[in-house]
Amino acid sequence: MDKKKMDWGYFGSLALSILLALGVGGVIMAAAGYHPIKAYGALLQGATGCESIGEFLTAAFTKRQFGNTLEYTMVLCMTGLACALGARVGIFNVGGEGQLYLGAIVSAYIGVLLAGCAWWIAIPVAALGAMVAGGLYAWVPGVLKVKCKVNEVITTIMLNSIAIYFCTFLSTGPWKTSQGNRVSGTETLVPDLQFTRLINGSSLTTAVFAAAVIAFLVWYVMSKTATGYEMKLTGQNRRFAFFSGLKVDTITIGAMTISGAMCGLVGMFEVYGVKGSYQDGISKEFYFDGLLVAMIMRYNPVGIIFMSLLFAALRIGASGMELNAGVPGEVYRIIQSVIIFFMAAESGISASVKAKRAEKRARREANARLEGKANG
Amino acid sequence: MQDPIVQFRHISMQFPGVLANDDVCLEIQKGEIFSLVGENGAGKSTLMNVLYGIHTPTGGSLFMKGHEVRHFSPKNAIDLGVGMVHQHFMLVPSFTVAQNIVLSKEPRKAGIFCDKKKIRKQVEDLSREFGLQVDPDAVVSEISVGLQQRVEILKTLYRGAEILILDEPTAVLTPQETNELFDILRKMVRQKGMTVILITHKLGEVIAVSDRVGVMRQGKLISVEETKNVTEHSLAAKMVGRTVLHDPFEKKGEPGKACIRVENLSVLDNRGLPAVKNLSLEVRAGEVVGIAAVEGNGQSELLEAITGMRGIQNGNVYVMDSSILGRTPGQIRAMGLAHVPEDRLATGISKEGTISENLIMGKHRRKEYTFFGIQVKKKSVRSYTKKLFDRFDIRAANLDTPVGSLSGGNMQKVVIAREFSFDTPVLVISQPTRGVDIGAIEFIHQRIMDKRDQGCAILLCSADLDEVFRLSDRIVTLYEGEITGIFQADSITKEEIGYYMTGARREEEKTHG
Repeated sequence: MDKKKMDWGYFGSLALSILLALGVGGVIMAAAGYHPIKAYGALLQGATGCESIGEFLTAAFTKRQFGNTLEYTMVLCMTGLACALGARVGIFNVGGEGQLYLGAIVSAYIGVLLAGCAWWIAIPVAALGAMVAGGLYAWVPGVLKVKCKVNEVITTIMLNSIAIYFCTFLSTGPWKTSQGNRVSGTETLVPDLQFTRLINGSSLTTAVFAAAVIAFLVWYVMSKTATGYEMKLTGQNRRFAFFSGLKVDTITIGAMTISGAMCGLVGMFEVYGVKGSYQDGISKEFYFDGLLVAMIMRYNPVGIIFMSLLFAALRIGASGMELNAGVPGEVYRIIQSVIIFFMAAESGISASVKAKRAEKRARREANARLEGKANG
Repeated sequence: MQDPIVQFRHISMQFPGVLANDDVCLEIQKGEIFSLVGENGAGKSTLMNVLYGIHTPTGGSLFMKGHEVRHFSPKNAIDLGVGMVHQHFMLVPSFTVAQNIVLSKEPRKAGIFCDKKKIRKQVEDLSREFGLQVDPDAVVSEISVGLQQRVEILKTLYRGAEILILDEPTAVLTPQETNELFDILRKMVRQKGMTVILITHKLGEVIAVSDRVGVMRQGKLISVEETKNVTEHSLAAKMVGRTVLHDPFEKKGEPGKACIRVENLSVLDNRGLPAVKNLSLEVRAGEVVGIAAVEGNGQSELLEAITGMRGIQNGNVYVMDSSILGRTPGQIRAMGLAHVPEDRLATGISKEGTISENLIMGKHRRKEYTFFGIQVKKKSVRSYTKKLFDRFDIRAANLDTPVGSLSGGNMQKVVIAREFSFDTPVLVISQPTRGVDIGAIEFIHQRIMDKRDQGCAILLCSADLDEVFRLSDRIVTLYEGEITGIFQADSITKEEIGYYMTGARREEEKTHG
């Protein structure tokens, strides 16, 4: 993906893409014999748990569905920002999924070991463990990229599978729970260590506050600090950054490591907030969803936060739509894909428009010169 | 005399902000080897891209074999018998030689299947016919660059090329490969009646291989001559001599202590061949030392080594009396050196970055511009960069304009403004005015002279000989990575310098005066 900036024109194309995607989704649903308006209504209801705007305004924060939407927003936001951190310095972390799994299982096991400790000891230690596990797992491809010029996309993708199978090994072998009938997974955490649910029955827990602080920090570092400036310039022109005296290698590896640490933390949030223990399949490609959000928003931190909300509402609402209107939830995949499709086309379309304009300008200048010559 | 095979009639090519070809009239005869020489950005590649149909000229017309070309596209050009071998090869690395050669024109079986036997046979016949030995079954990524170039040439021949354009063909070749290539080209012209156009800036090769030579400078075709009537030296003068109307600057007498000391330095180029050979040099405070050399004689590598952008193979460099061995560009800057790089787009700026972001680079950690070294003081940065913006007369809408959208001259002013404002005792400046308009040249020259008068030690390298003469107190001529002479600028003529730039060596060293 290119490193173009966000601008108003881009927002325009984005809004148009989303509308078109909803339109395409509607047409497909209509063709399959569903009423698109009713289906979208069910989708909104599925995402918020509310039947009217009035209800949304007064009671949204008591609804299980809305809680789930916010929880998934948090996940997308964290993974999307993690991806953006790497992309900002010119390294593409595709290994967030593996980093997330490792963070999840390490934090889960720390929770098992520290079952007797006070929560204010156990949880920070587990969080640290998750970040170290995810961070180290991203540090490796970072170093390989910088020192040996190994393409990070390939290494991180391959490391994903290694991490996921390694976690399966741990959760069915040495770290397996002793609870009788479970095939895999770690011991369930003692209730003291599990995050408090903010809305009963939903996955939304106190982790969302931690995520908010982290999102703020990432935004702050990326857009307000000298470090953020160095990251940006390194991503824009590495040779120039090196020439100007920046420690480009350290910056690149550092951004990659922090990206991995954030993914590890998302894994911990899933364990301590949602599942209560490590289980196989704990992440349903959360990182890849976040990566898509980040790419669509061109790695703009604020944009990622808002787009996460939309994608989360789509995904959570889709299951409600399936339940209430009988429309297969996969429709949301279609809508998501169409948005991506249009946004991918966008850079091509706007580039060709720009090229046309540049050519016209060049012709004008040439004609002006020729006329100038004729007159002079 | 028969009709010329290619005729450029008043061709102009305007890009946004740059007139790459300016009213070029040129005729190429069938069966000749024609060389087109000129510095980077002189417009030779653009002119050939017009012939190959990549660009549609914004003025003038192109005739081939007596007919006007109306539709410009590479496909059309190939159909008319034009073949081009680009500087960067366009081959599929994982395909075999034969597959690359026939690509997109594969002989078919039953309309859909590739006829592998026939492909092999055709490629073998072709390589025998033209004496270009290749192994049709070798995988392209595993053969040498010289052979890859042969594959490129065969590719054009397979498509029926009669006019072969070679863009900097020897830039990646060893001397032996170069000689082989020239033998092949001569054979193709003499025996097959082909026409070859060579784009290059290596003058020795021009003399060795071509029948006629055209010199381009700043988009214009300066001269076309029979090769037997020119010398390397006269070509060099034509290539680099930009008519400068400005008065010379006063030379200053009293340089101070040595700020850059280069001792027995050897440096390799990107291919791993020696580019700088056992070179020693001093630049003292308050003087400008200018390097005069035809492109590709080690001057770029020398400057990159001094500034830490390139590894040192042997010898040492001292900046302000400390060795730079093992230092990064950042550490060398901290020793008191600032650097205007030769290729500003690749090294000197971030195109996507704003003017302000590009101007503050390197100073952004100073405590005037950050709170506790963390948060950027946006206002101080803006007021500081605004000052530079005004003082260096950068013409742009505002500080938030992306630098990539500026003209070459204004881009260069951004680089100069940033580097000069470090106020370092040592400045290394490469191509200060390449691609810069006349007005900005005078401005930049004046700034360089101000720096010298403030006692800066300046090492200057320029492809423009007039510029070297105008700014330098001492001139160093380089040829193939070695110093051929060091002169006081006011005691030598441009013509004499021309000899040393093309390899003549100075017997007695009457310098260091």
